[in-house]
Amino acid sequence: MTAETERVGTGPVGWIGHLVDSAAAFPGHYGRLLAANRTRTIVLTVLAIVALTYPIVYQQVFAPFSRNVFPLPFPDETTVTFMTIFAIMAIGLNIVAGFAGLLDLGYVAFYALGAYTSAFFASPHFGSVSIVLFANVADGFPGIHLPFWLILPLAVIIAATFGALLGAPTLRLRGDYLAIVTLGFGEIVPIFFKNLAAITFTFSIGGATIISLQNVNLTGGPLGINPIDPFIIFGIGFGATSGIAAVYFGILLTIIAIVVARNLERSRMGRAWGAIREDETAAEMMGVNTVRTKLLAFALGASFAGVAGAFQASYLGATTSDFFQFSTSILVLIMVILGGIGNIWGVLAGALALTYIDKSFLPWLGTRVQAVAPDFPNPTQFNFLIFGILLVAMMRFRPEGFLPSRQRAAELSVHGLQDAEEEMGVEVETDNISIAPHGQAETDRSAELPSEEKDL
Amino acid sequence: MRSSTTVRVIVALLVFQVVGVLAFGPEAFFQTEIIGLSNGLIFALVALGYTLVYGIIELINFAHGDVFMLGSMMAFLLIGPIFAVTGATPILLKVGIILLVLGLTMLATATLNVSIERVAYKPLRNAPKLAPLISAIGMSFVLQNVGLLLAGPGNKSIDNIFGTANVLTAFGVEGITINVQQIFVAVVTVPLLIALTWFVRTTRQGRAMRATAQDPDTAGLMGVDVNRTIAVTFLIAGLLAGAAGVVQILYNNTTVWNLGFRFGLNSFTAAVLGGIGNLQGAVLGAIVIGFVNAFSDRFLSANWTNAIVFGVLIAILVFRPTGLLGQQLADRA
Repeated sequence: MTAETERVGTGPVGWIGHLVDSAAAFPGHYGRLLAANRTRTIVLTVLAIVALTYPIVYQQVFAPFSRNVFPLPFPDETTVTFMTIFAIMAIGLNIVAGFAGLLDLGYVAFYALGAYTSAFFASPHFGSVSIVLFANVADGFPGIHLPFWLILPLAVIIAATFGALLGAPTLRLRGDYLAIVTLGFGEIVPIFFKNLAAITFTFSIGGATIISLQNVNLTGGPLGINPIDPFIIFGIGFGATSGIAAVYFGILLTIIAIVVARNLERSRMGRAWGAIREDETAAEMMGVNTVRTKLLAFALGASFAGVAGAFQASYLGATTSDFFQFSTSILVLIMVILGGIGNIWGVLAGALALTYIDKSFLPWLGTRVQAVAPDFPNPTQFNFLIFGILLVAMMRFRPEGFLPSRQRAAELSVHGLQDAEEEMGVEVETDNISIAPHGQAETDRSAELPSEEKDL
Repeated sequence: MRSSTTVRVIVALLVFQVVGVLAFGPEAFFQTEIIGLSNGLIFALVALGYTLVYGIIELINFAHGDVFMLGSMMAFLLIGPIFAVTGATPILLKVGIILLVLGLTMLATATLNVSIERVAYKPLRNAPKLAPLISAIGMSFVLQNVGLLLAGPGNKSIDNIFGTANVLTAFGVEGITINVQQIFVAVVTVPLLIALTWFVRTTRQGRAMRATAQDPDTAGLMGVDVNRTIAVTFLIAGLLAGAAGVVQILYNNTTVWNLGFRFGLNSFTAAVLGGIGNLQGAVLGAIVIGFVNAFSDRFLSANWTNAIVFGVLIAILVFRPTGLLGQQLADRA
């Protein structure tokens, strides 16, 4: 809190100053957190330590155990990396669907745009040119090769631009129509990536050719683009073959995503999102610029998927349009709903759990089942049967998710009551109905804030 | 349909014929149009299911396309492995089996659709509007996987039991083909469409449906059993989807577990195009979408067809959410 008064400057110097301040203030903050809510702080600390040490523990203990003693479904490096990728996406979708209440069924489009950003700007795909910028390839190597710290901002910009492009015409639409438009967009983008492989197109006016494209291969078609450079920092690659380095990079990106999302939620914009989610007309009356607010929700939400896509493509070293299907959009949506729409921690938990089940647990169960009963259908094939049942059951029995945000829980559970009362001409004051899961008062929250978030 | 609208639709169709013949030549144009019409009639059966349900409870029944898929899967199992119908089966037996399959499948999909409504949508009647939509998406994945469990991942094909004879040769027309399958599509769908119109317009239950669509609360106060009416709507939608499934497998001779997604979105686009909640609109929209599919497949590229259909869907929702013929109900978007 004292960091406010000790600001040393602006720009990078200021940031470093803030970081130093936060680091210095950390023990004190931690002590206050411990005093404010002991159980919560200890649980979070343990979880953070587990997350940070897991890759090493896996490498040293779990992997040898699974290999030599008995196969247990510990998530391996690939699974953990994908857990972080989906965590970033779920946090991003939560901004659109959770904070702003705009149901996006085509979120996979931005994931694809991010992946193809990596594919275009860090691969030998455009072999007729050679652009090498700070990248770890020899000069004159065919293709465009940009370093990751240019790829990630590019992915953010491209995804955010398309997010705003999708948002702009859909501003009038509400609810289910918006959902269908986003779905259509999510289907069209991969179709474009799949089909723009052999473009032959001539456009001429009065005999003068304006545009002439002959057999242009933009996206690699159904085969996609392969290989893609891995992200490289100081000679350490973050590709699928580099073991735990990629995992830590994923964890770092996820932490950044959480911090950004938390700050957005608490910003003026975050409150505006809450307002349009609750009642768009009322929000507009109170002076919220709904156009700007919605467009920013789409753009910012999309940029998270852009980062996730760029990381995924460079991690796998290849991308094709088949990665980006409607089912991926829905998988991310299920993560958000399962965890608790609107609550970043719930969404994070949902993403980690579902990706783990999808990528580690079901394949393990599959091999176990096949070993015992070879004729039994393999559960990996029916992951979406499980997820579908989960979605229907969640909507029916716990629509607010397992770790709900308090506002959404209140909205979803008193809604029926409110409708009934409204019809009788009685007004219900939602404020009086408090659904605080741990009996915390609203004022407790500010004391719980980790210091880094306030200072960033 | 108001008479001025009817006139406009007829004029638009005539202009389309003239422009099409001039642009593509008569043979290619009429041939494509026939294919489009056959596709469109099947889309119409499914689109009516979307439009009926949306008209009554304002739910995009995402699982509807997959109910249709299960219908076509069941028809595949009955016609292929179980009854083993081939082109060589005697004609009377063939007709009998088709009628039996049609009856069984329609019964099964109708039961399924009513059960889905019971399990997945009815408990959410008072929930926020997006809750049943998300539930429907979940249900769609469940049904797809049921199809996958039943039939496995590959395409499932039956013999072409109608043969490849061209009906038009009997009338001395060369160059354009109408085969028996296409006649069959019309023979099954057109009576069903007429029967549905009759049901909704003249019967007591049909009146209850229209009343519920306008205002469920007032309809309830006037003595309409709203829950029963909604169940009947899902029943009718299921019957039509089952019929569409049988027609689809006999027309295309192949089905696959994820057929419902694309087919369903085509049909939903048709329903939105015609003005969701509007029965005639759904049929008109379906025929237009059938044409769009057929013309895009033939004159552009099958790779782009889906993108074009989705583009049409987005364009309508964004620029004219009431559809071509307008909704029967106000303030939908």
